[in-house]
Amino acid sequence: MVEFQPGEERGKDGRRIIKVRKENLFETLKRLKSEGYIHLSLITGVDRKDYLEVVYHLHSLEKNEYISVKTVTYNGVVPSVTPLWKSADWEEREEYDLMGIKFEGHPNLKRLFLPENWVGHPLRKDYDLKNVQYINVDEDGEDYATFDQGDGW
Amino acid sequence: MKTGEPGIVTTTLEKALEWGRSNSLWPLTFGLACCAIEMMAIQASKVDISRFGSEIFRNSPRQSDLMIVSGTVTKKMAPRVKRLYDEMPYPKYVIAMGVCVIQGGPYVQGYSVVLGVDRVVPVDVYVPGCPPTPEALTYGIITLQKKIRGEAVR
Repeated sequence: MVEFQPGEERGKDGRRIIKVRKENLFETLKRLKSEGYIHLSLITGVDRKDYLEVVYHLHSLEKNEYISVKTVTYNGVVPSVTPLWKSADWEEREEYDLMGIKFEGHPNLKRLFLPENWVGHPLRKDYDLKNVQYINVDEDGEDYATFDQGDGW
Repeated sequence: MKTGEPGIVTTTLEKALEWGRSNSLWPLTFGLACCAIEMMAIQASKVDISRFGSEIFRNSPRQSDLMIVSGTVTKKMAPRVKRLYDEMPYPKYVIAMGVCVIQGGPYVQGYSVVLGVDRVVPVDVYVPGCPPTPEALTYGIITLQKKIRGEAVR
């Protein structure tokens, strides 16, 4: 297991990459936002098998510069940044949907794309692709997932 | 020689119906992904499918005879594809356009893509390609016309 070291480095394109512990994540992002990185471009998640990595891509419109902030979590819980950026709401819901990362303090942490009763998080390395799931629509127009094909197929 | 007198054409009722159906295949406006861009091109002036009787893309499934499934069918979309197909009046035909629709294409190992739209609706003509050119799709429509008239070579 590789130990996580907080610090700063440069990416291949010269982009600053800041690594922080998740306890200091909110303060770091708040400081960067006050420094001009006001646009949250993207939140991505990486499954490193031993731990989960969450990457925040920020953009400064004045300097036209991108910056990446990386953090890791061993239990799948990361503080939410929705108080800083409203757009983080759906980004974090997508992360929760596909990677299974739980964001503490999120106002409405539900699945964004998949139905509520879908089993597992598909972009995790340990997701079992052999267990094929199907989506059907019930009478109210709501999706639900099943392991057998159902009427709609 | 033109004499101005009306001539007589003899045919069977079935042949006349087949001829009429095959030359008035109105497709449904139904684009799912990037193949839809190529599908749009077949009704534009360069490759005009009006020449073959597919006059106009209808906006309602109740007015259309042909569903061109153009683009990746996700599992979430599959019940909707089925529903649109059910809303179309008989006789109805389906063209599977592109390799995603035929068997999953580059998403064949994914969790979210239907591996062939023929698991959901019956398909008459498969048009392979990623995406197929407008000419290929026009060829698919002509093949479907031949199939309706009973002339298609398997």
